[in-house]
Amino acid sequence: MPSIRVVNLKKYFGKVKAVDGISFEVKDGEFVALLGPSGCGKTTTLLMLAGIYKPTGGEIWFDDQLMNDVPPKFREIGMVFQNYALYPHMTIYENIAFPLRAKKMEEGEIKKRVYDVAKKLMIEKLLDRKPGQISGGQQQRVALARALIKQPKVLLFDEPLSNLDAKLRMMMRAEIKKLQEDLGITSVYVTHDQAEAMTMASRIVVFNKGKIMQYGTPDEVYRNPKNLFVATFIGNPAMNLIRNLSYIRKDGRAFLISKSLHLELPEDVAKKIEEAKKQEGLVLGFRPEDAEIVHEESGLGFWAYVYVLEPLGRDLIINLKVSETDELIKVFAESGVVVDKDEKVFVKLRPEGIHVFDSETEELIV
Amino acid sequence: MRLSFYQRHADKIRIFLFILIMFAITSPIILSYAWLILRSFSVDMNGFIPTKLTIKNWRFLWSEIKGYPNIWKTTFNTAFVAVMVMLLEMIMTSMGGYALSRFDFPGRTSMMKFILVLHAFPSVSLMVAIYYVLKYLNMLDNLWGIILLKAALETPWATWVMKGFYDGIPWEMEWAGLVDGYSRFQVWRKIILPLVKPGVAVTAVFAFLSGWSEFIFINTFIFSQEFWTLSKYVKATIGDFRFADYGLLSAVGVFYALPTIILFFFVSKYMIKLTIGGVKG
Ligand SMILES: Nc1ncnc2c1ncn2[C@@H]1O[C@H](COP(=O)(O)OP(=O)(O)O)[C@@H](O)[C@H]1O
Ligand SMILES: [Mg+2]
Repeated sequence: MPSIRVVNLKKYFGKVKAVDGISFEVKDGEFVALLGPSGCGKTTTLLMLAGIYKPTGGEIWFDDQLMNDVPPKFREIGMVFQNYALYPHMTIYENIAFPLRAKKMEEGEIKKRVYDVAKKLMIEKLLDRKPGQISGGQQQRVALARALIKQPKVLLFDEPLSNLDAKLRMMMRAEIKKLQEDLGITSVYVTHDQAEAMTMASRIVVFNKGKIMQYGTPDEVYRNPKNLFVATFIGNPAMNLIRNLSYIRKDGRAFLISKSLHLELPEDVAKKIEEAKKQEGLVLGFRPEDAEIVHEESGLGFWAYVYVLEPLGRDLIINLKVSETDELIKVFAESGVVVDKDEKVFVKLRPEGIHVFDSETEELIV
Repeated sequence: MRLSFYQRHADKIRIFLFILIMFAITSPIILSYAWLILRSFSVDMNGFIPTKLTIKNWRFLWSEIKGYPNIWKTTFNTAFVAVMVMLLEMIMTSMGGYALSRFDFPGRTSMMKFILVLHAFPSVSLMVAIYYVLKYLNMLDNLWGIILLKAALETPWATWVMKGFYDGIPWEMEWAGLVDGYSRFQVWRKIILPLVKPGVAVTAVFAFLSGWSEFIFINTFIFSQEFWTLSKYVKATIGDFRFADYGLLSAVGVFYALPTIILFFFVSKYMIKLTIGGVKG
């Protein structure tokens, strides 16, 4: 299977810069997710990898071969579309066999392969039907079968699960992952669902407005987001942010302060902020699981009051506000924790869970 | 609580009334066809009642009538014009419609606007110009001249209609075909064209009917009896004041309308699917 290397790839539609100079690579047999909100250029990128769109600039390499001018049929790719794009006038059998017919394969071999792949995807009973006569989940499997049948070297997925209901989505998520691991086909998977990207991919390209925000393993983008966009896009509930903070040093101790908040910083964090030479417009970020609600001041943290509670069965999400005008803060707690509405509590932070961003550049400082 | 008679049968009564109204609206057409058919089988009519039945009016089918060309030769000419116009239009619009829908070439938008404007002009106003063109091309008194003329006048609009059908096909369908290993042309032929079949059928039917019923150009640019079509034949039976044979006129009229009626029975399935510029489900 080839590795894929994308260098400074661009695609402009008139004035719209759909993809604006992105570079990343996908290793041989790796499963990489392109993650980003709707309209950020994910599909456009995928269609360039498929050879359907011609790049405005930049290069696409499969191993050591430049693919820019290679038409789709010579790229040995399989692709699954969001709306499945099954051919409505053909039976399921003919749909799956269609890529093999392009290769003028003999009928016996086609039949054997179609039955093999249909069996693997558990759709062998549907082969005589038309796409309009089967469910969305089944159509999804047929689309997958059609992509796999010619034994492609690269698999491209464009939000393949987003039209399924939540339960089916979870199931197919695991199935596609297993299938990809078994076959070892180099795969690029487009999604706007961060949970999908986190659970399936070995690395994630986080996209926004045609640019790459961060490229790393799920753990890296979750633990060490490089900027505010990644920090808020990944994770559910999202990372808590407290904006408009200023940095001051008083009596040798370092603080982040606003009108309503006063947070003493550990020395290593303070050093980094001083190195960045930023005093104003700082943003504090921490994940809901990196904080704890206690009733007396202890260590690193700040005071806030309880706004509303969201029980989740095993856990409980406590929503807090530092003051009336601040954004909501969400903190996980075990369901045994007892707090009252409007009670003033201390939000105790884990030192490793603290992130500080520059609100101008949106980049991470610590 | 007791329901009244009307309440118990409300749905049925409403449908009955609806059918009654529809019948009232369409009755002038239906009745005139009924009259025509009855008249063609009778010696004379007393209002709607045939006085005496006969098949003599249909004699043109098996014997030559003085002053008229052979009916079968005339029918063949009519079918020839209709089928050729249909084929030409089908080929041109199925390709042209695809191009208008899918390709972004310079002048595409202005071309589409122009087609709309063009369609608004009555083609009769072009008569003199067409005469000179046909004369220059040596196609006066020639059925091919009529065929090309009809196809040329109707293709732009029909292309526009086909574009609507192509617009309804998602791009993904086309991309899937490319990824599956086919060229753009193969994708069009094997995937896209079958999906716009209702559009092609509709275009074909309209083209056939317009060729079949063409009168003005035939009347103007065809001089020899051997190139007559049925519309001209009907006109001749009307125009002959020496002996206005209403029996013959009715029979020829029915004969002329028959293929149209049969065709509609076959294609009504597709017609129903036609919304302006697209197919449903
Ligand atoms: N064929 C096209 N013509 C013009 N603009 C396009 C075209 N395809 C995509 N775009 C624009 O490019 C941007 C990225 O689109 P897309 O790649 O489909 O986003 P995503 O898949 O991430 O939702 C959008 O702003 C979209 O409107
Ligand atoms: Mg998309």
